[in-house]
Amino acid sequence: MTAAGPPQPTAPPEAAVVEPRRRLHPLSPVLHGAKSIAVVVAALSWQTLSQVGLERFALVVAVIAVAVVIFSIFGWLTTGYQVVGRELRISDGVIWRRNRAIPLERLQAVELRRPLLAQLTGLAELRLEVIGGGKTEAPLAYLTVREAAALRQRLLALAGRTQSVAQPTDQPADAAATAPTLERPLLRVRNRDLVVSQLLTPQAFFLPVGVAFVVLQFVMEGSWTFVGIASTVTAMAGVLLQPVRRVLQDWDFRLARDPEDRLVVRYGLVETRSQIVPLNRVQAVGATWPLLWRGQGWLHLRLAVAGYAGEGGGDSKRSDRLLPVGEFDTARSLVWDVLPGVDLAALATSPPPKRARWLNPIALRSIGVGLTPEVLVTRWGLLTREMQLVPYARLQSVRVVQGPLQRMLGLATVYADTARGRSGQAKDRDLAEAYALAAELAVRARRARTPQPSQS
Amino acid sequence: MSVDALTPWPDTVEWRSVSPKLITVELIVRWSWTVILVAGLCVGLVLQGHWLWKLGIAVVVLNSIWRSFVTFRAVRAWGYAERDQDLLVRHGLLVRRLSIVPYARMQFVDVTAGPLERAFGLATVQLHTAAAASDAQIPGLEPAEASRLRDRLTALGEDRAEGL
Repeated sequence: MTAAGPPQPTAPPEAAVVEPRRRLHPLSPVLHGAKSIAVVVAALSWQTLSQVGLERFALVVAVIAVAVVIFSIFGWLTTGYQVVGRELRISDGVIWRRNRAIPLERLQAVELRRPLLAQLTGLAELRLEVIGGGKTEAPLAYLTVREAAALRQRLLALAGRTQSVAQPTDQPADAAATAPTLERPLLRVRNRDLVVSQLLTPQAFFLPVGVAFVVLQFVMEGSWTFVGIASTVTAMAGVLLQPVRRVLQDWDFRLARDPEDRLVVRYGLVETRSQIVPLNRVQAVGATWPLLWRGQGWLHLRLAVAGYAGEGGGDSKRSDRLLPVGEFDTARSLVWDVLPGVDLAALATSPPPKRARWLNPIALRSIGVGLTPEVLVTRWGLLTREMQLVPYARLQSVRVVQGPLQRMLGLATVYADTARGRSGQAKDRDLAEAYALAAELAVRARRARTPQPSQS
Repeated sequence: MSVDALTPWPDTVEWRSVSPKLITVELIVRWSWTVILVAGLCVGLVLQGHWLWKLGIAVVVLNSIWRSFVTFRAVRAWGYAERDQDLLVRHGLLVRRLSIVPYARMQFVDVTAGPLERAFGLATVQLHTAAAASDAQIPGLEPAEASRLRDRLTALGEDRAEGL
């Protein structure tokens, strides 16, 4: 009975106070315009520059920039947001007007992004992750940092309201008493580790090989052609882009717990991001041990939050870091914090039966599944070892799938679906075991869900 | 303990099968496509007269005949069961699938009926959860059963619904 409609006992007092519609910061159109200048320059390319000459080029860019700014000003005039009851209402659009009401009980995470320009001007962008949204709903760009932070606190407080009402434990009182100022820092990733970890990627390893190849080529041919150098450099930049971007993004990675027990993640160099995720919105935690990090004993952790699924594609866009790089002990204590009661060191998994070797000739021993009291653990991957932890309370559905080859061997795969794309996967289990596992998962998921509704 | 992939937990779960009329619908669809394909191949045969066209026709017809036999079993392989807390759906012959979807996780229910399905008085009920991967689709339901299922599912979903 948590996600209910209008007849909420808590709603009327807030709905009564209708606050005015607010605007974004007046500088936002300028920032949008500045952003588009970069795009325009990139689109016109250097070739155009050499063709039309610098003055004309600058003129074209300026005209386009002014046009964009003017358009953005109209956009700014029409954009507004207000909090009504337990909804955030956003209206925007110049030609096609759009009014959106975002129910805050569906709020998954809130992120505050500050690109370089916004950092210089003291502004920030507020992004809400809402379940069911194909992409990030309502990026409010831009607000002043203080305003954005205040709005974020407010939205999260409203979003968390039902839970604290539904379960009158001592927790809310506790939180109220300690005042929402103190955050408990959990960890900080050393930048040196981050750089080293990104040097230990296949892409970075490719660099010396590429340089050697180029040098060899020059020695053999004895001539330095411009095209050769330029294309090599471009190719290398492309290859190195990902590690470099990773370093820039995960720079100065800090993790903290706020008094209401939410996770606060901050990171970024050029564009800083600070993300707040309520712990009950964590759909799954994934751990990866890349092959090249084994020497250091490092791993990285990912956080699956519903709502980010739609963004997919670009690794740069998603904010799913829980730990960009870290030692096992760090990861262990972190997992304990995020999924209480889960010890990363004590997750026993059992491999599939021997006859599954026909389907997994090499990596059979690395596949495994295990049930702990709180989470479903699945493990796979021989070179890059991966592990996925799915709390039972977040399970959406359970599936058992048996392909023709599996049928010949009497095997089946069990999937535990979460609201976030990738699901826990128990590959190639014995058929009887698979059905028992599915039944067990269904029961555990139910048990993990029920305590909350039963109280209201 | 021996387990049959088609009917797991036979003693505790009461499986219901879909309407046998779905066989007719599927057969009609299959043979309509066959006729269209064969017609196309016949045109080719008449225009060109190569023996490959004949082979093509034979392959298409044989495939359809074989698939038609499979259809009988495939439709019988569809099954669903309503338990206290969740809906079970199983289907598939070659790849066997079983989905367990808790009512509490249901986001919305779809009832659809295509023109051919309507002609035979059938409908398809589909359950959606927040996970894109979970597929709980039950085709070939009598309209009465479909709306009963829909109402029951929505009622149960409302009862047990909660945020994510």
